[in-house]
Amino acid sequence: MRRSIWLASVAVALMAAAPGLVQAQPEGKGRDRDRGGAERGPPGKGADRDRGERSARGPDREREDRGGRAEPRRERPEARGRDNDAGKWAERRDREGERRAREALRPPGKTADRDRGDRDRGDRDGRDRRYDRDDGRRLVWLRREPDRRMIDGCPPGLAKQNQWCLPPGQLRQIARTRYERPRYDYVWRSYRDEWDYRYGDGYLYRYSPQGSLLGYIPVLGGALSIGSAWPGQYDWQPVPEYYGRYYGLGDSYDYRFSDGVVYGVDPQTQAIQTIAALLTGQDWTVGQQMPTGYDVYNVPYQYRDRYRDGPDRWYRYDDGYVYQVDPNTRLIQTAIQLLA
Amino acid sequence: MSRMLIRGALIVGAIAVAACGRSDIDDSGSAQPAEASLASVLERNPGHARLEAMIESTGLTEALAATGPYTLFAPPDDALATAGGDADMTDDALKAQAAQLLRAHIVPGALTRADIAAAVDRAGGEGAKMRTMADAVLTFTRDGERLVVRGPDGPAVALSGDEALARNGVIQPVSGLLLAPSTAPGAG
Repeated sequence: MRRSIWLASVAVALMAAAPGLVQAQPEGKGRDRDRGGAERGPPGKGADRDRGERSARGPDREREDRGGRAEPRRERPEARGRDNDAGKWAERRDREGERRAREALRPPGKTADRDRGDRDRGDRDGRDRRYDRDDGRRLVWLRREPDRRMIDGCPPGLAKQNQWCLPPGQLRQIARTRYERPRYDYVWRSYRDEWDYRYGDGYLYRYSPQGSLLGYIPVLGGALSIGSAWPGQYDWQPVPEYYGRYYGLGDSYDYRFSDGVVYGVDPQTQAIQTIAALLTGQDWTVGQQMPTGYDVYNVPYQYRDRYRDGPDRWYRYDDGYVYQVDPNTRLIQTAIQLLA
Repeated sequence: MSRMLIRGALIVGAIAVAACGRSDIDDSGSAQPAEASLASVLERNPGHARLEAMIESTGLTEALAATGPYTLFAPPDDALATAGGDADMTDDALKAQAAQLLRAHIVPGALTRADIAAAVDRAGGEGAKMRTMADAVLTFTRDGERLVVRGPDGPAVALSGDEALARNGVIQPVSGLLLAPSTAPGAG
């Protein structure tokens, strides 16, 4: 069972040494201020390959943009006119995302006045003003579900027949499908768990080592392809507001996280419109060991001057956050939001 | 006159390198990323046409053009040509497999060749490990002077050619696939 860790005390302690660390977020403050994160145009569908430019330019440029200087906003033609409902996405997040995502709450005794003092320190520093906007937020994460949200039974329209999900009347396909696995299905071995996986018609099926069908999930490029309607029976996690701002998501779509992928879904048609981001969904919990698989320094270029490895601390990037890690114990010391 | 010609050639060469998304080195020795995104850099690189086609067919172009950052380990076209056995991984019918294969070649953050080398040297014999977007772990080691990377059940492949530092990540060319294709039907 995971332990809840108070982030704020660690963040405050580190503030003096590393200005720019986001403070742990008090609950329930500042949501109205947060809505500015929806300013960016939605990614939409098409060929604007540099849409993430604003998010990737680093703190100084971001602050300049918010200062009201005229910079043409980049957005897709089909998305125009839908931005008038700015804040809708953030509101939806308020209702669902933060309710369902894991949270790190403010520790007891951390008062609003103290919050304000931390914020002021950032202002005086001159570099961290942009973090003010986040002082009212809770830190939230998207985590990959250990069971991948497997669904029991068979996809709609298919019937379970001898451990396979097939259209009614196609029993003859069983032998061919089961015993002549396509050569390209090796790609599912990357899951590296105790189950056996087979793909068919948009869905990935999980089998026990004994060959029993255990469930299925729709997968990226299959039933979760651009243009496909979101499978109604498939659960997902709403994307918390911070991820929306970090990855430059707009208001036009519902953003849904599932099995390491952020999808943009048309709220009216439920059709997938964009693959917005890939996430590892690893569990980074302050006070716990760093997850396996982050041995290489990987901090984004624009933050390397601020978060550089040293003999007493490492910094590792994952899914929009930078984490400070003790090199000796590999314990995570604090989580840092890169955008605020 | 000859000096002017040489200077002109150097400028043209520098522009060509920047256009390909390769890294420049500033006065401090730090790598400087190009303005182009990963998707744009790949699009301009004829050596990764098949990889680019797979990214397009799977709908990952937007993600690789956006904030990131990601590091993409880019197999050559001839390796990807064998990825689907007799089938073509760029075909729409294999989008799901192509997407999973691509995720197995992408890790979070910006990993320069120097970062990887430093981590390998620090890690010693066990190698340095990185988590992929397919929830698997890659292991980096040295093979003589070369840096090599091995995926789950995959062969060790070399980090080859020049890295390309894009605005939102890094493209690290590798000499082969990080997952080993099945050699026979039913062996997947």
